Amino acid sequence: MRDLLLDLIDGAAGRFPYVDARHVRRQTEELTVRNGEPAALGSHEDEGIGIRIRSGGAWAFAAARGSDRGAGEEALARAIALAEGGARAPHTPLTEEPGSRGEYSSHAQIDPFGVSLDEKLALLIPAEAALREQRGVTVGRAGTMARSEEKQFVSSEGASCRQLLTECGGGIAAIAVGRDGAQIRSYPGSHSGSVAQAGWEHVLGLELAANAPRVAAEAVALLGAPACPAGPTTLVLAGEQLGMQLHESVGHAVELDRVLGGEASYAGTSWVRAGGLGSLRYGSEQMNVTADATLVGGLGSFRWDDEGVPAQSVPIVRNGLLSGFLSSRESAAEIGLARSGGCMRAEGFARQPIVRMTNIGLDPGDAGTLEELIGATDRGVYIDTNRSWSIDSRRLHFQFTGEAAWEIVDGRLGRMLRDPVYSGVTPELWAGLDAVCSAPAWRLVSVTDCGKGEPGQLAHVSHGAAPARFRNVQLGLS
Amino acid sequence: MSPEELAQRAVAVVPGDALITATRERWAVLRFAHSRRTQLTSVDDLTLEIAALRRGHVGGASTNGARTEDLELCMARAARAAEVAADASGRGSFAGFPERAAPRPHQGHDPATAALDTARGDQALEAAFESAAAAGVEAGGIWTAGEVQRAIASPDGSLVSDSVTDAYMKVVAIGPGERSGYASAAAVSAAAIDGGALTQRAAQKATGDTDTLVLEPGEYTAVLEPHAVSELLCVLANAAFNGLVHGEGQGALSGRLGERVVSPAISLSDSPRFPGTLPRAFDAEGVAKAPLPLIQDGVAHRVVHDTRSAALAGAGTTGHALVAGGTVDGPRPTNLVLLGGGETDEASLCAGVERGIYVTRLWYTNILRPQESAFTAVTRDGTFLIEDGRVTSPVADMRITDTALGILARTRALGARPTLCADGEYYGRRFASGTVCPPLLAEGVRFTGTAGA
Repeated sequence: MRDLLLDLIDGAAGRFPYVDARHVRRQTEELTVRNGEPAALGSHEDEGIGIRIRSGGAWAFAAARGSDRGAGEEALARAIALAEGGARAPHTPLTEEPGSRGEYSSHAQIDPFGVSLDEKLALLIPAEAALREQRGVTVGRAGTMARSEEKQFVSSEGASCRQLLTECGGGIAAIAVGRDGAQIRSYPGSHSGSVAQAGWEHVLGLELAANAPRVAAEAVALLGAPACPAGPTTLVLAGEQLGMQLHESVGHAVELDRVLGGEASYAGTSWVRAGGLGSLRYGSEQMNVTADATLVGGLGSFRWDDEGVPAQSVPIVRNGLLSGFLSSRESAAEIGLARSGGCMRAEGFARQPIVRMTNIGLDPGDAGTLEELIGATDRGVYIDTNRSWSIDSRRLHFQFTGEAAWEIVDGRLGRMLRDPVYSGVTPELWAGLDAVCSAPAWRLVSVTDCGKGEPGQLAHVSHGAAPARFRNVQLGLS
Repeated sequence: MSPEELAQRAVAVVPGDALITATRERWAVLRFAHSRRTQLTSVDDLTLEIAALRRGHVGGASTNGARTEDLELCMARAARAAEVAADASGRGSFAGFPERAAPRPHQGHDPATAALDTARGDQALEAAFESAAAAGVEAGGIWTAGEVQRAIASPDGSLVSDSVTDAYMKVVAIGPGERSGYASAAAVSAAAIDGGALTQRAAQKATGDTDTLVLEPGEYTAVLEPHAVSELLCVLANAAFNGLVHGEGQGALSGRLGERVVSPAISLSDSPRFPGTLPRAFDAEGVAKAPLPLIQDGVAHRVVHDTRSAALAGAGTTGHALVAGGTVDGPRPTNLVLLGGGETDEASLCAGVERGIYVTRLWYTNILRPQESAFTAVTRDGTFLIEDGRVTSPVADMRITDTALGILARTRALGARPTLCADGEYYGRRFASGTVCPPLLAEGVRFTGTAGA
């Protein structure tokens, strides 16, 4: 395959300043048990070749299915036609990068595709059944997913890398329907549960069946729980909800293509300016955020990005000040950075790489455990699982809903509250961050439906965080 | 290889009951920002999907390989999944794939668009850039065209096939002070897309000397352009018309069919051949598409079903399967049509408004409570104050948190001409769809915050 890809880029390299080619083979398996019945059992496989050409200031990309020379040459011809069509945009430079070479496989102790469907269903069916043992549960769901992606990449600048990334995960959810509405509780999270760059051992470690009775009981209890009150409060966020807060108000906001206006027509722009590097106050002194593509288990981890740039750990916010961006070779060069942040990722063989999140994490603080953080909080509300999310196109004004909340009274968790909504303005929320739990409480959570780009691409990313406390957050709607 | 050929080849290797779908997609996207080309994409793919039925369970598998061994492996995976499900849980509830009748012809294919001449797209971009320069704005957006051919076959010898084309262009104009304006168009034919005209419309919203106002949250009379109305209808597509969640009591129309749920001015249907829509001949189970009234004169009539949700409801499929055998999330309408009313256009809708908000489109819409059709979204790319019957000042984007049924219940007037609204996002495989709807005027729309200041 490598030789074919090299031949293909040779076919265009003399005519254009930069060409790269990739072959991607992807396999996905999804299983869901819904109300006692395996309801979606699917196995999907695709492969193809994608050719990307730099033409002036534009990227021309063409993809064709398969792995043979004919498919590759046909894709190359379409890429060249696109590159040569229309008025050339002015040339813009790329950062200088070494031509990465090598092979890499992510760690998977138990190959998820080597585990039989029988074994997977033997785990899911009792977990889902345990949800419906709770009186009042209308819908029970339990699911797993596995994905492997094998990618060979070459470029006209000498890069030649091959990597195999394996993901696996699962989760459960219970829906209870009452006279006044439906309530849902999910475990470990509402975005496909918990997915990691790992093998089947990750699903085994989730202990889905053991958690099912609690999840189901909480879903039913929410029907009769008091509504979360409105007004300014102290908010303790953890798990998936804190991950989503990072995702929407930090991760997307520091994508350099957005900052520079390249995504204005779809994903939007950003309240963050390129000139704010090193001086923009993003949040409090307790706020330290890192984009780390080298984290073991993170869905945003790899050895090389889709431009062949090695994975990096990039400081994004240090002591509350903006200190970095998620960048590509093009966007980094545009603001005068010497090197790309290595954040170009593409979904499958049929999409061109764009700037994406890697693993955006809130660095741990020194507030101890979650119990200690709550113990140090007189009054407030605790939310850990996300239900809905919405933020404006500059990533400034947001509104989130959790699945459930718990009131904090005199340093203890109290009643469960339904329909917790909070809203705010990105730098104001992060300015209110006054405590982050310590390293042992730091966890990765997953987001498997991060949409961006035209044509649309869904990225899998992880966010790491320990529970954190935010002061003066607006609960409820205006 | 055509989808029909691939589907028929696959039938030859398929033992037992199964539905075989072959889909060929060819498309191009020309993306631009700052009034220059940025990302250009061309894709050609052919995918085979097999849904195998064993003892009431459906197993699915797909591949984009076309060798005989690819087809055999795909079939083996689908069949194995269904068999394992049956072994693990006993007989399943899926009664069988529905009968496939010959679909009616439609006007959803344009041979010139199917030729995928990106020179036409280049011309649209150049026209957009010229209009942007003339208006003093920068243009961002996409132009795209594509053809999707689909064939569905089964071992009983039945075969249905369909070919559709679509074209779409979106322009977001960025004016001085970063004000933005939006315009888009979608059609079966790329010839219907005028990049220059779209850019002029978008630029009008992004320019002008008037300062941008920040309004207090509260209930306002609102005039919603068709793209904003389309977002409301998409909320209902998921929260109200999904036959699976409806049957489980989670839907916004659960227990309410036959009741007046919105204004008598509202008549909404799923109409796959309505003028201006993006037609399709059949659903993912090969069931011929047919018009389905959902709300008539404000009264809720129907929800949509695939085979699986229909069986749970004791009803028949309405031809709304998104995947053969159904998805865990249920079926959804794909050709919503909201009939127009008596007002000429947005300007005539504004004419009777003393003070209100004009909304071009909504962004980041997310459902909060499906049973209430409660959602939140942010206005974007053209939000204005309406005073004394006309649009006056631009307004900083605002958050709406309301219910879709509530807004349609408070609708007082609709524009006469429904427009095809598509989003052009094309996640996954290309499945162009859109909503045909007019602009409308609604009272008491709940704006719960500022989102752009």
